[in-house]
Amino acid sequence: MTAISVSGAGAVCPTPTIESERVLLGHGSGGKLSAALLRDHILPWFTSPALRELGDAAVVPISGAELALSTDAFVVSPLEFPGGDIGVLAVHGTLNDLAMVGADPRYITVGFVIEEGLPLATLDRIVASMARSAERAGVAIVAGDTKVVERGKADGLFITTTGIGTFDGTFRAAPTGARDGDVVLVSGPVGAHGMTIMSVREGLGFETELISDTAALHPLVRQLRQAVADDVHVMRDPTRGGVASALNEIAAASRVGIELDEQAIPVDPPVFAACEVLGLDPLYVANEGIFLAIVPASVVDSALAALRAHPLGTRSRKIGRVTGANAGTVWVRTAIGGTRVVDMLPGDQLPRIC
Amino acid sequence: MKYLSEYRDARIAKALAHRIRATASRRWVLMEVCGGQTHTIVRQGIDELLGDAVEMIHGPGCPVCVTPLEQIDRAVALASRPDVTFTSFGDMLRVPGSDCDLQQVRARGGTVRVVYSPLDAVELAQRNPDRQVVFFAVGFETTAPANAMAVWRAHQLGVRNFSMLVSHVTVPPAMIALLEAPDNRVQGFLAAGHVCTVMGWDEYEPIAERYHVPIVVTGFEPVDILEGVLLAVTQLEAGEARVENQYVRSVRREGNTAARELVGRVFRLVDRKWRGIGEIPSSGLAIREEYADFDAELRFGVQDIHANESPDCRAGDVLRGQLKPIDCPMFGNVCTPMHPLGAPMVSTEGACAAYFTAGRLRSPVAGGVQ
Amino acid sequence: MCLGIPGQIIEIHDEQGVAMGTVDFGGVRRSVCLAYVAHEIAPGDYAIVHVGFAISKVSEEEAKRTYALLEEMSQLDELEWLAELTRTSAAEAAPVAPLPERVP
Repeated sequence: MTAISVSGAGAVCPTPTIESERVLLGHGSGGKLSAALLRDHILPWFTSPALRELGDAAVVPISGAELALSTDAFVVSPLEFPGGDIGVLAVHGTLNDLAMVGADPRYITVGFVIEEGLPLATLDRIVASMARSAERAGVAIVAGDTKVVERGKADGLFITTTGIGTFDGTFRAAPTGARDGDVVLVSGPVGAHGMTIMSVREGLGFETELISDTAALHPLVRQLRQAVADDVHVMRDPTRGGVASALNEIAAASRVGIELDEQAIPVDPPVFAACEVLGLDPLYVANEGIFLAIVPASVVDSALAALRAHPLGTRSRKIGRVTGANAGTVWVRTAIGGTRVVDMLPGDQLPRIC
Repeated sequence: MKYLSEYRDARIAKALAHRIRATASRRWVLMEVCGGQTHTIVRQGIDELLGDAVEMIHGPGCPVCVTPLEQIDRAVALASRPDVTFTSFGDMLRVPGSDCDLQQVRARGGTVRVVYSPLDAVELAQRNPDRQVVFFAVGFETTAPANAMAVWRAHQLGVRNFSMLVSHVTVPPAMIALLEAPDNRVQGFLAAGHVCTVMGWDEYEPIAERYHVPIVVTGFEPVDILEGVLLAVTQLEAGEARVENQYVRSVRREGNTAARELVGRVFRLVDRKWRGIGEIPSSGLAIREEYADFDAELRFGVQDIHANESPDCRAGDVLRGQLKPIDCPMFGNVCTPMHPLGAPMVSTEGACAAYFTAGRLRSPVAGGVQ
Repeated sequence: MCLGIPGQIIEIHDEQGVAMGTVDFGGVRRSVCLAYVAHEIAPGDYAIVHVGFAISKVSEEEAKRTYALLEEMSQLDELEWLAELTRTSAAEAAPVAPLPERVP
């Protein structure tokens, strides 16, 4: 009888999967079902050592140098939402994945799968905002493709991207780097993107002033790295599945325990309120403009000072610590002094209304 | 958020926990009836604060958990029809039926949508006159006014393509069934604050008196629950057994009379099966004959679908407070949220899932309640 | 069961004979059916909302009165439980004790 090992993507998960002969929406949630989909149906066939680490981006050798490579697919409904659109999300998401392994993003390629009937004006707006975000971030979009599918075969527009980044030294960050005694930092309040999307999604009928936090994080990462002379052990942008899933993956990959202080985790009031109304936990909600950094305790002050000096990191916080005990487990010390384990969810977080 | 955040105050919560420990001269066994309270207790680690003073048993107040298997099978049958848009609260989508759950129905081509409110389902029916919109009306007394209003509204506006699959249950008969059981261990109850917001607490007074158990109407935040526990323990220590109201900011003695009135007009009391527990007399609500046009069971003829539960699942013992989820031999190995045997492992309010996702630890004495 | 959240009534209107209104939950707004509280509620009041229905008006008086009692109690008890806390915190400050083995 072993303890439950928390499943990171690729880690061995003793929990049986939901028996289904078909793909469920939950397979895309970033939780255990997503991990099982990768483990059972994708990774058995793709065996490259660069893939095995399952970081946000792969590090590959080319002509004597190392490059960072990342691919992402973007599906979001609605296509345009407060704070951004699918195009901005695609650019930022790609840049952030490269930044999380310590690379400087250089080039992006993009593929558009367009549904018949999409207003050209919508496409124009999305492509223009992609161009703006790329320009602002100092990367070039250098290749692309378009395909059009029949009405009903795609949800307006799907975008895939590939990003290439370079390294300027020996620093590489991987999810395996967390050590006993390290400190967990978050660069800003959690849950804004996911709750924004949920509030504007048809059917729930909520009006909020929420806006997505989507942002390109590489300048913030650079500022952090300079301040602590690259003494950063892990970086991760907690997108789908949220902070809880990202930390579970790190705890599994690094074979450490992670203890969070519930009161220290920054959550904006409207995000908190939306989560309360729908019965959701902000720790599992997607983010697109914050990242988690795990650093040695000795550099916490300078790391926080550097993060807070950047406009994207003014609300950076220390939210927890890494322990040698309870490897593979993430838990929270609650406001009233109790504890609870923060496991990966099986699938999507469903509104808890009844 | 006003009336919410202040009831999570750590200082007050710790003081209450201290006072409970100081008051209890022995270990008392309390049941929180409501799944929402279970959620708070497990999520905040309240049981850790109580130490040896109180053992909390998690009651059957999770509508998702007690909805009978055959009702899920009927939902699956309805949702699989090409002419039906099936609407439901989010939690119901993962409850396993005999063959599959509603998420799998969706993956196979069924139209299943999560709504926030039953009135949203009525609106959906108005906007899609060529579809049959069915709403899965589960819940306790708290939800009954909302579901009654949806039926009444559809009737009033003549929304003919709307109907409801009803699986409503009521709390007091279940409490009596628990207290009547020969192996009952419950010495006091935290009654569900929102159920009493609708129904008031008249019904509980004869129960407190007859079975000599304190019943404290309790809210849902940590401070509410700890105060409810303190009031119950104080009564137990004094040998009293009264109905007491902790949740005074929301609950009045008579409940919400306007809501009770419409519930009585649309629904009638019926015997109902509870998943894992069995049939409890007069413990459910069904649509009255005057509104039978809106009863999905009759409209689509699914009332003859019947099902038997898995003999491996001891959900009944868990829901009756006879077995801690972590002491069930199936817990965590055969039965997980990824592969639930029974409903308490599905709903986030279900006792088993609450223990699993919050990583409760095996209790010192394994093998269940002695 | 029964997730009910307190929200503030922003406006009230009639929708084909049923009282409806906008309710603000800490910055999140939604249309809510007010039929069951219409007789006692006005904009500015708080109500407990469950699945899009206000099921009761929050009594400000009762909330204030009972909360004051709780605060008073917590101040009275503070010294005592702080002392208890200090006794136990020595153990808590030690390196994290392993969580007992989790269920298989």
